[in-house]
This record gives sequence, C-alpha cells and structure tokens, in this order.
Amino acid sequence: MTGLASSWTHAGTVLTIHRWVTVIGTLLAASVAVFALCLQFGATSVGLGTVARGIMHIVRGGEAESAGLETSEIIMVQIRFPRVLLGFLVGSSLAAVGVTLQALLRNPLADPYVLGVSSGSAVGVSVAMLIGIGSTFMLLPMLPLFGFAGGLLALLLIYRLAQSQGRLPIHSLLLAGVILNAILTAFIMFITSIMEPNRSAGLMAWLMGSLTAPGYPALIVFLLYALLVLAMLMHKAQSLNMLTLGEETACSLGLETEGIKKRLFALTALLTGAIVSVSGMIGFVGMVIPHAVRLVIGSDHRLLLPASALVGGMFLAVADTIARTIMAPAEIPVGIVTALTGGPFFLYLLLWRKDRMV
Amino acid sequence: MSDVVLAVHAGVICLLLTGVESVLASPFGNSDVTRRQQGILTGMPFMAHVSARAYVDDAGRRMYFAQPPARIVSLAPSITEMLFAIEAGEQLIGVTDFCDYPPEALKKSKVGYSNPNLESLLALQPDLVVTPDDFLKPDVIAKLEQLKIPVFIFTDINVEGIFAHIQTLGRIVGRSSKADAVAMKLRREVTAIQQRVQGMPPVRMLYVLNSQPLITVGPGSFIDQLIGMAGGVNVAAKSTTPYPRLSMETVLQEDPEVLVFPVGKTEGISESEQQLWRRWSTMTAVRQGRLHQISADQLNRPGPRIAQGLESLARILHPDSSMGVELNSNVNRR
Repeated sequence: MTGLASSWTHAGTVLTIHRWVTVIGTLLAASVAVFALCLQFGATSVGLGTVARGIMHIVRGGEAESAGLETSEIIMVQIRFPRVLLGFLVGSSLAAVGVTLQALLRNPLADPYVLGVSSGSAVGVSVAMLIGIGSTFMLLPMLPLFGFAGGLLALLLIYRLAQSQGRLPIHSLLLAGVILNAILTAFIMFITSIMEPNRSAGLMAWLMGSLTAPGYPALIVFLLYALLVLAMLMHKAQSLNMLTLGEETACSLGLETEGIKKRLFALTALLTGAIVSVSGMIGFVGMVIPHAVRLVIGSDHRLLLPASALVGGMFLAVADTIARTIMAPAEIPVGIVTALTGGPFFLYLLLWRKDRMV
Repeated sequence: MSDVVLAVHAGVICLLLTGVESVLASPFGNSDVTRRQQGILTGMPFMAHVSARAYVDDAGRRMYFAQPPARIVSLAPSITEMLFAIEAGEQLIGVTDFCDYPPEALKKSKVGYSNPNLESLLALQPDLVVTPDDFLKPDVIAKLEQLKIPVFIFTDINVEGIFAHIQTLGRIVGRSSKADAVAMKLRREVTAIQQRVQGMPPVRMLYVLNSQPLITVGPGSFIDQLIGMAGGVNVAAKSTTPYPRLSMETVLQEDPEVLVFPVGKTEGISESEQQLWRRWSTMTAVRQGRLHQISADQLNRPGPRIAQGLESLARILHPDSSMGVELNSNVNRR
C-alpha cells in the first residue's frame, strides 16, 4: 500500500490513500444501491418487495407454492439478477479495457473494439449461427465459446502482424488492429447478407448487444474470468501511469515497456473477446466512461481504473434497465440507450469542466 | 410531351363519353394512347377492357398491362408459390435465392433477395417484377421504375391480403378463373379451421422467431394474426411492434401453455436451442411438454400454403380438435 501513498501529481491532484479509499468506497456503496435499484425494475411488476414478501412467507412457515410467487421468484433469480450482474460485469470490463487501451495506445479515441479482437469474436459467433451450431456444450453455451475462439484467433493474428523483432510498436499494433477490424467487419456483413432475412435479423440483434444472461454455470465462469483479468489490469495501473508519459520516459523510469505492453495487450484482448462473446457489441461504455471519470477524478490510473470499472458497471446496469423497461414488454438494444444517455451526459461534463477551468 | 397531351385529350373525351367510370380507368401509361384512340372510335366497350387491364398495387401505384406479362420476376418465396399455384409458373423467369417451393422454382434463375442483383435481374428482361415492400431497398424499386420495368408491390401482408394478392396476380397474368378458384379454396380452408377452433378456450402461446436474443411476433405481424385465427393468444400481444425483442420476464409472467419453434432448411431454431427452453421449469408449456415445431416455410410465408400452416398451428394449439379436421378438409377438397 506504500505505492499508493507515494504522491503522484497529475492533473493537479495528489492521490492519497485517504482519497483512494473515499472515492472507491463511495463508488462501491453507490454500486450496491444501483444494483438494488436495477433489480427493482423490470418488464413485469415483480420487484424487491415481492421477493421480500416471498421470503417472509417461507420464513413464517407458509408454503411458497402459489404459482404467482413461484414465477416472481424465477423471474428475480433466473432472469433479472443474472442479467443485472452480467450488465455490471460487462460495463466494468468495457470501461477498464477502455482506460487501459487509451493509456496503452495513447489515443483518446481508443475503445475496446478498436483492435479488432471484438470483430474476431463477432465473426466466431456469426459463423456458429450460420452453420446452425448447437447451443450448448457441457453446460457451457456454444455461441460464447465460438466467439471466444474467434477473438483468440484475431488476437494472435494482430500480434503476429504488429510485432517486429521482438518489439510491439504501438502504431503498428493500432494499424494492424484497425485494418483487421475492417476486414472482419466486412466478413460479418457478408455472413448476414447470405443468411435468410429472419436469421440475419437474429444475428444483427445479437451483434447490437444483448445482455440476456446465459445460465448460471456460464455466468459464473465469466464472472471469475472477468474478475481475474480485472485484478491483473489493476496490478498494472502504475505502469499505465508511466506509459502515458511516453514510452521513452517510461523506459527511463525503469519500466520494462515491451513486456508490459505485450501483457497489457493480451489482457485487454482476452477480456474484450470474452465480453463480446457473452454480450455482443455494446458501444460507448468503453470509450466515454473513462473520459468522464477522468474529467472528475483525474488521471492517476491507480484510482482511474477501479473507479472507471465501477462507474462503467453502474452505467451499463442502469442503461440496460432502461432498455428492458422503457418499451416493455419489448426490449430495445442496450447500445441505443448507452449512446443516447451517455453522450449528452459526457457533453455536459465537458462543459462543466470547461467552466470550472475558466 | 405530345403523348401526354394526347393522353389528356383522350382522357377528356373519355370523361365526356362515360362519365365517372373513366376516372377509375384512366391510366397514365404512354403506350395506351392508340388503344384509347381506337376505343374512342369504337365507342364505350373498350373502357371495360382498359379498366380490366389496369391495376393498382398496394402502394397505390397504378400500372397498365396491354398483354399478360410473360417474363415475371418474383422477389419473395410467397409470391413465387402464388404464381405456381395459379399455374403461371411458365411466365415466371426469375426468383429469389430462397424460393424452394414448389421444386420447379429451384430451376428458375436466381436474382438474390433483399439486395437483388440488378444486373442479373435486368438480364432476364422482365416485363413485371412482383415484390413485397419489406426487405427490399427503396432504391431498387426506384431504379427499376427508372428503367421502365413495372414493379408491383404487395404491402398488405395479412390473410385477407393473400387472397387478394392471388386474385390480383391471376388477373394480371391472365389466369383469373384459376386464381379465383385457388383463392376461394384457400378461403374456405381457412374459414373451416377458424370455425373449428371457435368456442374452444384460447391457448396462450409464444412463437420463438429467434432464441438468442428472444425475438417473437407481435400485433401487426402476419403470424400474430394466424395465432389468433388458430385459436391461440399471443403472449406478446401487449408489445407495440410487429417483431419485438420480448423480455423473458414477460414470457414467464404471461406463462405460455405452448411454445412453437419454426424449423426449416434455411431458417428456424436449432434442436439444442429448443432444448434450452426446458430450463424454465415453471412454465406451463415446459411442465406439460408442449414444445412444438412447425414448418417455417408454411407459416412464415404469406402464400398459398398458409392453410397448411394454419392447420398445423391449430392442431398444435387444439390437438383434441383434429378429429374434425380430416372430415372438414376432405369435404373441402371435393
């Protein structure tokens, strides 16, 4: 923890343990509140009150056999809770990957989808849908597995394309990623165009992002995986701080830049592949949340990374709650909500920041 | 320009001769001027002739065919099926990639589907293109119009629309009596099914158009109408769009008694995706094991096989009523 105490002056703020604990603590509390709030709302009238009554009913020794109660329990436990959890995880992961890539590529426009790994995952899923693959394999859903495999292939391909003489130059990484992204996107469009329209509508709906949670086994695998990668990213926060100063500076500060870059690229790509595999392409969270959080709390990655992850999680959970309730009983793609609510909010933050600086 | 002037003159004379009738039958084509002039010379009977050969499609566009078109391109599997059903298969020269019924349709030239290949379409030298408006890009229609190829658009995709479309196609291609017979038979079959399930308790059902994410049919869609006719209640009835992404919560709360999965060669829900639905163990449909498959082609295509699709759906929803089915449909066939 002494590392955290060491003063890091950036954007005029000093990061102290006290500040770190205050910010993260507040955000954690807010996350719990938001999580509960999201559980409260849904397409059906089932809410936390219904569940509480159900629990009371069982506690009092009554039998929870009335069909209505049983259904609300299923709705809460099997549908809404895993969905809010998935939304939170995906939002956190997207924001954390966004922060990392913006620092690694030193490009404010970087988001989790910029390097083509996401398109690799999407191609994997499209191919699985095109050949009509079965949807489960040993309890794990097939589509995410195909998506993840596609993402891994894209990751290896980009790495091979970008690296030269044991180094991983940022500009060639970015270029290789962007070009591969374009190629793979074209491939997805080809697949949708040869599909029967009803099927391609299904694929498009999937690609536009959907947080319909898989069953618990797959969800738990994703949860552990995402938490592991997030922890490893967090561990590299100080290196990210140095990388933002430029590679040469970072090198002269004693950072082993090549190794760090490769590891960060691999971690972000592995997480992105998994995100796209379970939820499709949900735009906006990965790019704007890091900027919004940075505007408010400064750009020390030891604070920025976990804070962005929490804010991203809250943001996506809320956006998905809007997406699944506003047109109930129908749902709208969550990406629409993330862009429509997040965009104006970010512009507001930008103006607020500008006013404050004057 | 002179054509237009002539047409206007002719129109005025027609008006004088026949009064209001002619308003209904004054097409703005340019090839019919001589015909009109002939008509003027010969007197009134031609009006009936002209009006019988002028057609208004569902988009309100008027077109005129001097002769039944002999080179027709169909841009939907349902339209292809209609043309074959009224024995106009000979006149059909181009179909979509997904037109697979009847088998003869597979031998026709392919022109793509929602994004048809304009060059291969033009190479067929069609004198009529028949298309539904959904899926097709507006610029394709504009381009064909610019090239003076008549495009007949079907928009009213509902059961009454199918009968009307079959009859309209029949008149255009010069097989109106056959088309009337086909439409009549279809109407009788559909009515018979409706009457059979009438009075039976409606069955709540969910039609799974796409499983991940869940997409189903809602009010305003063709299949939603069929569900009602087959004695079912669509659990997505409260949604506001024809093809909603329905929330799973709503499905569980509405508790469908029957799940119907479309299956087919090119579309449909795979077997393992269907099995995935069994995890919702409180759902009445799952508890009673009423997960059913239905031919996607028969139900999703608003064409002449719709009675068969409706029949399958009615049997799924009301299995106990199928005794009467045989009798009724046999009677109809005779």
